[in-house]
Parts: sequence; C-alpha cells; structure tokens
Amino acid sequence: MNVSLNWLATHLDLAGKSIKEIDDLFTFAGVEVEGIIPRGITSEKIVVAQIKEAVQHPNADRLKVTQVDAGEGSLRQIVCGAQNYKVGDKVPCALPGAELPGGFTIGETVMRKVESKGMLCSASEIGLPPGEDGLLILPADAEIGKPAKLFFDSDVLLELEVTPNRPDLLSHYGMARELATLLKTPLKPLEVPAVTTVAASAIQLDAPAACPLYTAVRISGVKVQESPAWLKQRLESIGLRPINQIVDVTNFVLHELGQPLHAFDAAKLSGDIVVRHANEDEVFLALDESEYTLTAGDLLISDASGAALALAGVMGGLHSGVTETTTDILLESAYFTPQGIRRTSRRTALSSDSSYRFERGVDPQGILTASALATKLILELAGGSAEASIQVAGEAPVLTQPVVLDAQKLDQLMGGSIALPAAEEILTRLGLSKLADGAWNVPSFRADLQRHIDLVEEIARVHGLANVPSRFLGAFVPASPVDAAYDADMVLRRRLAALGLHECQTIKLISDAQVADVLPLRPLQDGDVIRVKLPLSEDHAVMRPSIVPGLIASAARNVRQQAKSLRFFEMGRVFRNAGGGKAKDQESETLAILLSGSNLPTGWAQADRHADLYDLKGILSALLGERKITFAPKERAGFVLASEIKVDDQNIGVFARLMPARERELDFTSAVYVAELDLGKIRKLLNGISHVEDLPQFPGSSRDAAMELPIAMPNAKIEAVIAKLAEPLLVSAECFDVFTDASGIKIAAESKSVAYRFHYREPSRTLKAEEIDAAHQSVLDALVKGLDVKFR
Amino acid sequence: MKEQIEAIQTEALAQITAAGDERSLDDARVAVLGKKGTLTLVAAGIKDVPKEDKAAVGQLLNAARTVITVALEEKQVILREVADRAALEGIDVTLPARQLAVGSLHPLTLIRDQAIGILRRMGFALAEGPEIEDEFHCFDALNTPADHPARNEKDTFYFDSGKLLRTHTSSVQVRTMEAQAPPIRIIAPGSAYRRDEIDATHLSVFNQLEGLYVGTDVSLPDLKGTLEYFLRELFGTSTEVRFRPHFFPFTEPSFEIDVKLTIKGQAPRWIEVAGCGMVDPAVFDAINRSRKDDAFDPEKVTGFAFGMGLDRLAMIRWGIKDIRLLIENDVRFLKQFA
Repeated sequence: MNVSLNWLATHLDLAGKSIKEIDDLFTFAGVEVEGIIPRGITSEKIVVAQIKEAVQHPNADRLKVTQVDAGEGSLRQIVCGAQNYKVGDKVPCALPGAELPGGFTIGETVMRKVESKGMLCSASEIGLPPGEDGLLILPADAEIGKPAKLFFDSDVLLELEVTPNRPDLLSHYGMARELATLLKTPLKPLEVPAVTTVAASAIQLDAPAACPLYTAVRISGVKVQESPAWLKQRLESIGLRPINQIVDVTNFVLHELGQPLHAFDAAKLSGDIVVRHANEDEVFLALDESEYTLTAGDLLISDASGAALALAGVMGGLHSGVTETTTDILLESAYFTPQGIRRTSRRTALSSDSSYRFERGVDPQGILTASALATKLILELAGGSAEASIQVAGEAPVLTQPVVLDAQKLDQLMGGSIALPAAEEILTRLGLSKLADGAWNVPSFRADLQRHIDLVEEIARVHGLANVPSRFLGAFVPASPVDAAYDADMVLRRRLAALGLHECQTIKLISDAQVADVLPLRPLQDGDVIRVKLPLSEDHAVMRPSIVPGLIASAARNVRQQAKSLRFFEMGRVFRNAGGGKAKDQESETLAILLSGSNLPTGWAQADRHADLYDLKGILSALLGERKITFAPKERAGFVLASEIKVDDQNIGVFARLMPARERELDFTSAVYVAELDLGKIRKLLNGISHVEDLPQFPGSSRDAAMELPIAMPNAKIEAVIAKLAEPLLVSAECFDVFTDASGIKIAAESKSVAYRFHYREPSRTLKAEEIDAAHQSVLDALVKGLDVKFR
Repeated sequence: MKEQIEAIQTEALAQITAAGDERSLDDARVAVLGKKGTLTLVAAGIKDVPKEDKAAVGQLLNAARTVITVALEEKQVILREVADRAALEGIDVTLPARQLAVGSLHPLTLIRDQAIGILRRMGFALAEGPEIEDEFHCFDALNTPADHPARNEKDTFYFDSGKLLRTHTSSVQVRTMEAQAPPIRIIAPGSAYRRDEIDATHLSVFNQLEGLYVGTDVSLPDLKGTLEYFLRELFGTSTEVRFRPHFFPFTEPSFEIDVKLTIKGQAPRWIEVAGCGMVDPAVFDAINRSRKDDAFDPEKVTGFAFGMGLDRLAMIRWGIKDIRLLIENDVRFLKQFA
C-alpha cells in the first residue's frame, strides 16, 4: 500500500520525525517498509538566489555568465544556459554539495574556461513537476538565501506491506491511528458531519449473507469536472490518476478511511438497487471493458430491470459509472463479506483497491462515516444537493466480542517482562476498553482480536521483543532415527567429496523427456510416475523417480561449458508409485553418482585417462569400506552394461552406462557411467565394526596362477568356483592381470589370460611348503573342473 | 717386505683417490683387500717371514690395512655425497603438482550442516515428513483458512489425487506432534515447493529449516534466546538481531527476524533471515483432534516455531547473486566450495 507522509501528517503530528524513525516505527508495528521515495526538493543546499547580472559567455554562444546573490554576502558566478529569465528574477540555486534527484551532486566547475560555482535550476532538475522551459522563476517576495524547499511541497511516499490480519491499517487514517498509539501522541479528530439514516425503501437486499449492510445516498445536480489541486495532489502523491471530482472523492475516501465506495450515475439506473447473486453464466461487462462470465457465488449490484451495474466490491460496470454528463449520482457504501469477494476476485483474476480491502474485511462501523465524508466533499467540490439521510438496508455485522485477557498466561508467555497495568495500558491505547466483568471490549475495526492470544500478540508487538529477556532453557530430547540417518549421510557425503566428487543439488521436478534417463532401483511400470497437475513448464512436470536424470542434465550443461572431468553425486528424495500406480506417493532416499571424462586432472606428469566403470566400482568400494561390492548384469531400458549392485547378496542399487546414442545426443565426448543406490540400505552398511580382528601371528604365503579362458567368461564365475571350494587355508584371492591379444599372436584372439594371486595362511602355525602346494593344487583343480581353464 | 707393503699402500691410496664412483672404489678395495688382493697376498706370505721380524711386519701390515680401510671409507662417504647431490640435480620443485581429484560439498549442505550443528548443540533432534503432503498437514492443521491465497492452484502444486507438494516444512511440525507427546524439540530441514517461475531470486523447489519446541512453560524469552543464539553462532557473535512483528496463520504472536549484515561492498543493512512465533493454540487444537487426545492442551503447553530458507542463507553467506547457481551445478561454481 502506498502512503503519503504529508497525508498521514494531516491526522497526527509527525514534526521532527526523521525518515529513519518513521521507518523503524512502521517496522516495529509489524508493517514492512518496502520503499521510501522522497518527492519534491530534498536538499537544504538548494536556495533562493537573485540574478544580479547576466553577460554573454566569451566562449559559448548559448551560455551566459551570471552573478547571483544567494544570501552569502558576496556574489556567486554561475554559468547558465537558460533563456527565460531576466536580471532581478529569483530562481533556485544549487550550491556546491547539493544533491539533485538521481544522486547527482553539484560541484564547482570550469565551463569553457569560465568558473561556475553552482547551478541555477529548472523545476524538473530539483525534483518538482516540470514547468515552463528554463529556470524555475520563484515569487518576487521569496527571501534570498532561504532553502527553496520551503516554497514547495515535498513529500515522502512510503511503500508499505500490511499483513492480512490488519485490514484496519489499509488507510491513512487507520495507519495514523496505529502510529498515534505507538508514539503515544494524540490523533487529530476526524471532521465528519453527523450522520442520519433512514430505512431504505429502494434497496433490495437479496443476498444478506454476502452483503449484510448496503447504504446509498442520492446526490442531485452535481457538475462533474476536474478536481481541485489539493485533491489531485493527494491522489497523485500515492500514485493514483485523478479523473473527476466524484471518482476522485471516492478514491480519496477509500485511501483516507479504508472504506471502498462506488458512485453510480443515477440516470442510468432503472428503479431500485438490487443486491443479488449472479445467475450462473451471467455475463458482466466491467469498467475495464472486459467481459466476465459469472457464477452463482458472485455478488452483483443490479437495478430493478436486472441489469448488472457492478460486480459488488470488486469493479463497477462499464455503463453505470459517472461521466462528464452525469448530474445525479447514487453513492454506495456497503459491507461485503470477505469470503465472497475473495472468491470472486480470485476466480475472475480481478483485483482492485476496493476488493483488496473488502476481502480483508472493512470496519462495519465505518460505512456510514465514509459515506458522510464523501457526500460532504462531493457537495463542496461538485455542488448539488444530497438527500438528508443515508438510505440503509440491512445491519452492520458485529464481528467483535469481548475478549478475556488471562493475566497468568500473559505473564508466562512474556517471561514476566511486562507488568499487567502496562499491558492493559497498551490495550487501552489500541482502543480497547475494559468492561465491568474484566473482559476487554474490542473496537469494530479490530475484528482480528478474537482470543486471549490475539491480545497477547498486541501486547508483545507494542511492548517489543527488544524488551523481552532472552532465555535458554531446553528440555532434553533424545536423538531420533532421522539424526542417525543424517549423520550417516554426512559421512557418505564427506567420503564422496574426499574421493573427488562434487555434490550436486538438482531440482526435484523433471520433464517427461527426462523420464527416459531414470534409473530407479526397481524399474518403473506404467502409472508409477507422479505428475503434478498444473506444471509451471514442461521441464518441471514430473516428480523425479530417480536422481540420475538430474545429474545427467547437470553433466550435459557442464560439457557445454567445456568441463573435462565430470564427477558428481547427489543425495535426496525420489518419488514414485509402485505396482503400476497401486501403491501411491512413495518417497525414498537415494544416492546417485555420475562419472564421465577425465578421471584425474591432467598435467605434465599425468596422461589423460577417462573414467570407466571400474573407477565407479572403486568409488563404491571406497565408500563402503571393506565391504565387497559385486555387479550382477541385469538389463535396463535406456542404458547399457546395466547391473545390480550387490553387497553380501543384498541388492543395494543399480549401475549402468548411458546408451551411447544418448551420450552423443547430449554432446558427451566420453562414456557416462551412473549409479543409483538405496540410501536406506547403505546407511545400514556404514554401521562400522563391532570388534577388531586379531592380526595374524604366523606368516602366510602366496601362489600365482595365470589361466587361459574363453574371452567372454566373466570373472564372477572364477570367484564363484573359488568361493564354492571354500579351501580352508585360502585367505584371499585377487585378480592382478587380465591379458588379451586381438591379433592372436600372444594368446588366441578368442581367449584371455587371467592371473590370480592366492594367499594361504593358517592362523595357529606356520604352514609347510607341501601344505601350501596341496591347498593351491586343490584350487587349481577346482578351476579346471569348474571352468575347464588351462594354466599357462 | 717393508718396501713392498709401503708400495702397495701408496698405490692403493692413489687408486682410492682416483676412484670417481662407488664401483671403481670397490674395484680398488678388491685389488688390495680382496681374496686375491695385493695386501692379502703379502699378508699370506707372513708365514715365510723370520720369526723375529713377524711382529714388526704384522704391525706394518695392520697399519697399512687400517690406513687403506679408512681411506676407502672416507672416499665412500664423499662419493655418496656427490652421488646424492647428482641425484637431486634437475629436480624442479616449482613444477606443478601431480593432481588428485578434489571434490566438494554443495553450499546448501554446508550451510545446512552448520545450522543443524548449532541447533543440535542446543538440544534439538532431527525430524522429517513427506514432501507429497495432504491439505490437512500442510494447511488445515496450521490454522490456514480454506480460502487462503497460498492454497490456490496458481501458487501450490497439486496432484490429481488432491494431495499437494508441501509449501513449507511446517507440515513436519504437525506430523511430529501427531506422533510424539511433549516435550518436543525438533528441527526439520527439507524441500518445499511453490509455483514460482524460476528466476534469479526464486526457485519452485527450495530448501527450508523448520524448528519447533513445545513443552510446559515455553515462552517468548525462550524463542528470543534460542534464535538470537543460533543466529549469532551462524553469523558471528556480535551480530545484531531484531524481531519485527509479523503475521503467520500458525503462530501468534509472530515475528520476522532480521540480522544486520555487511554484504561485500555495501553498507551494513538489516536482512530478513527467518520467521518465527509462538505456536497458535488453534494448531494445538487441530493436533489434539487428529490425535484424539489432549496431549497438546493449549491450557497446559506452549511452544515456539521458526523457519528459514536455507537457499537464502547460502546466498547471504557467500554473496551468491543468482539462486539458480544453486541448482545448475556448474563445476566452476562447485569447485569453490572444495
């Protein structure tokens, strides 16, 4: 809401208050100050000066050199380009140091080799509305040397954000009332003529729930024309465009008192005013020249003919309003219930200063006051005569009730920082009054004060949290399973960062196209993807069932930025239905990893090597400590080399390489390896060890064996044979070489050589060579028997 | 024989002096002291020396052996020193490193971890709840009227099922109070969603940190003390903190919290960092109805709640000008947090 400081000052004395003090005052009243915009001359260094002499500039045809008296005892030389003045005129002079609008500071300069010690100013140069070309000529009686701002209105426009619970602040009077309370200064009385009312015969209230009170006053014989300067200035000071006195008065009263009014051209009405709900699909042609199709919930002001005159509380009709030819007006002031206005405003996407106030709730006791003030002003400005009494249909709703303040609870909540009398004094200042039974009567404009806690809020707000002590006294609560999960996640994050991966944060809404890149732990069926109903864009339409698509998109973006090494991970929630939509809205947490491009930074000592699947496997191994990770191939749509990732036969995630065609489509120049793991399962694997294992007391011994195998034989088969044999002396077996030769020279092209090192040990004694040889032979025999390998 | 020994010694010392590396030095040693070395052969001939001269010749032999051995050892030390020096020649310590891959944690993780660390020290435990929520937990239980603007389909993501994406982490407050009785002292970091077009200051998915403390005699001083302490730990012990009255449907009284911060190159100014307030009794009433008990009797328990935007905290902390940097994952951005 825009508030003019000058306008505000018509209601209370703000003299001597700096802008900063005003800012703080609003801020601590709970009103956010979003902007402070000074209007008019602000600098004290722009003074009245008289031009004593003006001669042609020796080096410039269009400039004159003037000598001016700025009240300093001696004359000041200023070069000036204006033509509209004569010697003896008084004009505004910006002295060196004066700040002009736009942040421009005047200094002493030399213009074409002639000194100039200041600037003679036009109206627009000092922040006033632009006038005639050239210098601003001041009145002849302006006192030389005085600040020029004294001769012009200056103002400050405040852009304020009022919270929805405080509709009483949506006017200058309401805001002034609040400031007066906080400043403990008196509010100037509002000059409104006494109101007389009469039960309306010509108003038919068909929707009393949506409009419990409707009033109207007929003013006849008005002459519609431009508003006087003071009124135009008021409206312009808060950014409104003046139209004519009638419309301007209704706007003025709205911003003065917070009560929206509407003026109809009485000549355009036929018969009674009817306040009724719209018919389903009734079309309303509004002031903004748009047509709105209404529903039965919308409230209309119509006449006896049924013609819709206004969308109640929201906007007037195109043909019922005041024009230059209007002579008789009907001035509406009413209470429309907030819910209805809110619904209509939202549904039609029509919002006005009027609907803004009605949907927050106007003061039911302010309706007649507003009408009376507007009538008085219209008569003053447009002539004519008004009915003696305001026609009233319905009754003002009573929205407040006495509220009890629980002193004990107040004391508890405030931590004893305010004594009861001081708290009661705050309520009194806010316009509440204590009833005989101890309850507090609430003024009609504070319908937000309904409960004890609402009174406490007022007391806390006015008292200020600065005056409340700080206390630190927490009850003990044990750590939760969420704490344990968080700690495990941080361990994983730090390990991954230490392994050279960058943690990412991608958006949890992905596009339909990205669904092709998902790598969920269990494949998706039709109906397993969760879509939002009204996505902001196609790019953010689906709740991610997997983090991998986000990482792929981030990696692709980095490739476009010439990144060479892509090592990413992200942890977070994924969303899906299960069983083709049978189990809904399942949320779980996963860890996704992506590797592509250079495995290490390249340099003088390092050749470039691109990451491959074994690098990713290595990262997983390092992440899970001593756990043995195995990959079990299992196809996934959209990917190649897809495998289930297993630890101790437990399936903990999925690994794959992006389909090479998709890699090319995204401009990747090297293979993209991804993995997505079930965080719930990984956290459990991080539990650490329960006890240490004793170090071996006796030496072990190792034997190597190189075996020739068909090239397609997976290593897992060798491991399986060794595991199945369970040779008691065999402690470990590791593959240390794999050799192939496509040319078939060193080994047949369809074969490969796989070399293993086998470690043998007996915990209780040193083994004899024969025992080791026997154990080793049993391993070799098993391999021959199981896989038909040949040893080289 | 004496002359012979002296000659051997002289020649051996000359060879030792001439030796340019350890290998020629070893050759010199073998030539004199080896199995067939000159001095060894002479020593073998001592059995032919007359008995009365044996002692003198023996002494001569030992003296020569000692002199030669010492010379060998001294020369070896010198040669090794020379070799050590030579081995270091040509090593350029100013060449760049053999680099390792260095990773990083995301700035949101860093700020979240710091915030959680402080609050845990103050005795808060973590809590969580679903991101796909229902209207009860996101709005109704939080005293948000049915026609509140936030409940509009223009501002909130809904699903065909009628569920929605939570617009704030405050729904975790409700979930926690449904499941546990007071005292409750939780923090809940998590994502929240609003139908905001993505631009330099808005994301449709953003991150919040929620806090809730409910017990007997939880008061405004507790709220103030806790949040002041938290913010001073986060932004520095002398940070000025102010509480501005505000309005939220689910707390009363409500405040917004500003801290006075200096952003590089700017004058210090108040920057909004969090919202907070005392839990509105209407929220407790809703919880009791949902629990079908009166564990949260508003006559007996009070509480405070707070919430803050982690993305915003990260932006403030590191002077991040465009919030989209937090989701674009540009390596050049992420690397700075290594």
